[in-house]
Amino acid sequence: MKPTPTSTLSRRSLLQRIGTGFGALGLAGTMQCQGLLGNQTDAGTVGISNPFHLVPRAKRIIFLFMNGGPSHVDTFDPKPALATYEGQQPDGKLYKPSKGSGYMPSPFQFSPHGESGVVMSELFPHLAQCADDLCVIRSMHTSVPNHEPGLLMMHCGNLQPIRPCLGSWLSYGLGSENEDLPSFVALSPGRPVVGPQLWSSSFLPGEHQGVAVDTNDLDVEKMIANVKHPSLSRSEQRKQLDMLFQLNQLHQEQRQNDQIFDEQIQAMELAYQMQSEATEAFDISRESESVRQLYGETPFGQSCLLARRLCERGVRYVQVYYVTKNGKQPWDTHSNNNESHRKLCADSDRATAALLMDLKTRGLLDDTLVVWTGEFGRTPYSQLDKKKDLNKAGRDHHHTGFSTVLAGGGVKGGLMYGATDELGMNAVENRVHVHDLHATMLHLMGLDHERLTYRYSGRDFRLTDIHGRVVEDILA
Amino acid sequence: MISFLPESSYFGPPNMMSQEKLRDGGRLDPVQWAVIVSLIWSATFNAAGADDGIDFFESKIRPVLIQHCYECHSREFSEAKGGLVLDSREGIRRGGDSGAAVVPSDPSESLILQAVRYESLEMPPDSKLPGNVIADIEKWIAMGAPDPREEITTPITERKRAEIDWNAARRFWAFQPPNKHEVAVGTSHKIDGFIQSQLAEQGLTPNPLAENRTLLRRLYFDLIGLPPTPSEAEEFLQAAAVDRESALFDLVDSLLASPHFGERWASLWLDVARYAEDQAHIVGSNKELFYPNAYRYRDWLIDAFNEDVPYDELIRLQLAADLHTPEDPRDDVALGFLGLGPKYYRRGALEVMADEWEDRVDVVSRGLLGLTVACARCHDHKFDPIPTEDYYALAGVFASSEMWNRPMEDEAETEKNGQAKEPDQAIHIVRDQKVQDLNVFIRGDVNTKGEVVPRRFLTILSKSTPVAFVHGSGRLELAHLIASSDNPLTARVIVNRIWATYFGQPLVGTPSNFGQLGDVPTHPELLDDLAVRFMENGWSLKWLHREIVTSQTYQRSSDLTPDGKTIDPANRLLARMNRRRLNVEQWRDALLKVTGQLDSAIGGQSMVPDQPDERRRTVYSERSRFQLNPLLAMFDFPDPNAHAAKRVETTTPLQKLFVINSPFMVARAKDFAQRFGTESDDLVVQIQQAYQILFTRPPSQEELEVGRQFLQESTWEQYAQVLLASNEFLFLD
Repeated sequence: MKPTPTSTLSRRSLLQRIGTGFGALGLAGTMQCQGLLGNQTDAGTVGISNPFHLVPRAKRIIFLFMNGGPSHVDTFDPKPALATYEGQQPDGKLYKPSKGSGYMPSPFQFSPHGESGVVMSELFPHLAQCADDLCVIRSMHTSVPNHEPGLLMMHCGNLQPIRPCLGSWLSYGLGSENEDLPSFVALSPGRPVVGPQLWSSSFLPGEHQGVAVDTNDLDVEKMIANVKHPSLSRSEQRKQLDMLFQLNQLHQEQRQNDQIFDEQIQAMELAYQMQSEATEAFDISRESESVRQLYGETPFGQSCLLARRLCERGVRYVQVYYVTKNGKQPWDTHSNNNESHRKLCADSDRATAALLMDLKTRGLLDDTLVVWTGEFGRTPYSQLDKKKDLNKAGRDHHHTGFSTVLAGGGVKGGLMYGATDELGMNAVENRVHVHDLHATMLHLMGLDHERLTYRYSGRDFRLTDIHGRVVEDILA
Repeated sequence: MISFLPESSYFGPPNMMSQEKLRDGGRLDPVQWAVIVSLIWSATFNAAGADDGIDFFESKIRPVLIQHCYECHSREFSEAKGGLVLDSREGIRRGGDSGAAVVPSDPSESLILQAVRYESLEMPPDSKLPGNVIADIEKWIAMGAPDPREEITTPITERKRAEIDWNAARRFWAFQPPNKHEVAVGTSHKIDGFIQSQLAEQGLTPNPLAENRTLLRRLYFDLIGLPPTPSEAEEFLQAAAVDRESALFDLVDSLLASPHFGERWASLWLDVARYAEDQAHIVGSNKELFYPNAYRYRDWLIDAFNEDVPYDELIRLQLAADLHTPEDPRDDVALGFLGLGPKYYRRGALEVMADEWEDRVDVVSRGLLGLTVACARCHDHKFDPIPTEDYYALAGVFASSEMWNRPMEDEAETEKNGQAKEPDQAIHIVRDQKVQDLNVFIRGDVNTKGEVVPRRFLTILSKSTPVAFVHGSGRLELAHLIASSDNPLTARVIVNRIWATYFGQPLVGTPSNFGQLGDVPTHPELLDDLAVRFMENGWSLKWLHREIVTSQTYQRSSDLTPDGKTIDPANRLLARMNRRRLNVEQWRDALLKVTGQLDSAIGGQSMVPDQPDERRRTVYSERSRFQLNPLLAMFDFPDPNAHAAKRVETTTPLQKLFVINSPFMVARAKDFAQRFGTESDDLVVQIQQAYQILFTRPPSQEELEVGRQFLQESTWEQYAQVLLASNEFLFLD
């Protein structure tokens, strides 16, 4: 988006409304307003979403979260040596003793795809067609193999629930591209483990909190609270608001036109506008039948489609959780790992590939970063239940090595980056901690993770605390 | 068994991995690399001589250190992570926080070897070094670690005891004891003297007093959080017409005596105390860590404010009622201040408990003292005179206390430790457990233990060297030291919080940070004088409330004068009252009150405030760490996972969507319409009554006309919703 005289003007008028929208323009806007960012006139990269520290490569992020932790050795990190050592118990440092039958090879075939030869298992026939857009990080690691702290680390960069999440930091740093919509939306068919802390703004101002939407029922009025009056028609409501503005005007005139009332009046008008804007944005029934089928008629598939609609309209950050009505973490395959992965991947593969292709067709993939990950991976060795049934073997939580897939938004496509050891136990090459992933995601959005800070409780806080480094090697 | 076999059978040339490794290892570009190597090389070459060991170091070890370690562990990059520098012989042998990196001739004692083998630490973090390199390092250490590198300067980071000049530090305003001050300007009320002398300096004339109707609404909303009814208004306005001052005093007395006073002011404290009834997480459906009876602490607070329990006593009870008044366990519920704190996942593990202790230190230090002591958990406080030892001295008090579900009835089933089996049969408090002094955790890492610090108070707030606590956990000794008239902060902090609530702006702009990075007071003498007189008046909060609201400063009109607008637009000098938006408690309670539906029962279990048929006061709302009620979250309630210094005020379209569309607001409009749409057939009378109830004034001719016209075509319910949505209903003049 190139700045034109018009956009400057509309920017100015927007700036006057700081505080009225959903986070309006965020820190960048506010700082530019105060002349703190210097003169940013001629660069073609300067749009309404001002590059706060760096030139942004992405304008928005869709974060696809496979709750429970997908198995890296069954998806993106082939380990043929597991067959060699099948049945042997792992040695070395383990978080807790293995209770299974030792190393367990993946039953799934792996093969390279696209011109780049990115390797994935047979569980991703659709995503294979996007291979050249994918950047597979095979050397992820995190701090703890438990869901709660793992989820919090992946979302908030901290093991305890007292920090703002990535989406809130982005909203705070960059604001929204569309002030009639929230800058940060969390889509979840049901509720993931941990829940609202995952989209919490914590000590950042509340307007940067993610707007949580339950996508089990795709009826717009069920998804967004208070978006429509239960009985009044739009014209009846317009009449109400016209009188309200009149009464507020009289009230304000008697108070020397105190400025504090302006933002109330504007917020009310915006709310009225939002009713139609948000209703339109969230209404996926406006998509063609073929598009809906492309994504798959599943809650996750339809959530991905909704994510695309929202991003298209300027939402900065959309989380999509892979949870189900009854399962808060379906990827947590302690038993039946193989069968479960077959089912889960079928759905996730189709929807993720559809999203990437759809974004690409619309020219949005270049500046939309898509991330596919869980909170950690799964053990390369098996876990058995009491019956010791090998056919129903599962895999346990595993945090010292797993895979995360990125696409679009300024990352190198067709890349496999980093490696775990020959058995998939530990990330050993080009290790990427979750803090590093966060630093990289902020970097792609034009923010320096060391400079995006918020003064709270006597010190400056960062998403990455004192950690994190940008993984330069994967930047396009 | 884990090795570096290339797993490249699927793709690419077999040597791809090793190329990757080489390329990635250092994050220096080749030119930087060459420069650094040649500089160091030439600087040290002469010293190196022809010694075999030195040759081995130069050819095998130094390049590895430069490539893989210096970025985080050298002076070159101004980094010494973990306190470790590896760019000199002294540095590598001295080691960092964890101990010596290299012990010459003793590979098994050399931490660097454990780290590169990924046995203890995992270094370098992004990739394990190749096996032959690790073998070289081992060999080099076994050779006696020959190393020609001289230390150039003193180490850049070494944990050393804070060198604080305590006498200088104590001269900072907040650590000086507050004193009473005389006022030059002759005013009948001391507060006004301080305010007016600063106004006079700036050439500002204070606003006249607000009209009686405005003052009445202000007092009602401020003292009890509710609007006056038309008959209450009538009573005051008549009395004030005769004798304004005595009518005002009578009204203030009666509002301070109202049981609703405690409901209004408990809200402030609930924010300070990060009060909540659950945890930020639920494991499965296990609610064992929840606080179903948290409301008893909230109700205790309401009673305590109503009974005007002195503030110093409030502190002692909330920190140590069990030790302070052991003969009377009824006040133990006050311990909810600590006992309702967050419990984190995997509690019991040392690193998790360390996080919990931080919460307790934080709520006590910021909440009661206006000091950010938790900043000193990982390093000495960067700005305030709070060494890390002081943090662990306080944390030890909480490490020696445990969260405890004390059974409420003797019949309640208990665990072996006396704890109630079911949380709903208990109050959630704390008690002393096995006393323990903590080690300093160096850089906050529980695995890197420094010296042991006895439990004791902060040095900066002690007259000389602080004395170790000797009674149990030390909570009561701590409470006495906080709730002491010798403590320079405690009274100032609470006076500032209450002042801020009345004026919409504090005297110290950072109510929970009176340290170097906090704001300095706009009216230092006023703050100090009020703090001292507050203590002299027995720490009586009601005295403080009365003192503030009977000042002329509080009673001024909120009109913006041309002078005020140009000289002091932010109104720091308080020539006028600030126009304030009602907080969500005042606003929601007013909605219920004016529609005649407020349930005014005091206390009891918590409720869900946005349920359309919920009619109790907002202070009784469930406060959740897991998911704050959307209504509360939308209207600026703080996140109860941590202490909140003050509420931020946002204005968003989501708030307005709630106002125009929510079932709660639609229900209020219905209630209102039922009350007015039927009482009289005369539209004019109806509208007049509505205005009296909502705004304590009659409608203007124009407002009357607008309303009449609207009601020709629309329902009373639609009209009522507009009036309830109006700015006048949301703001206090």
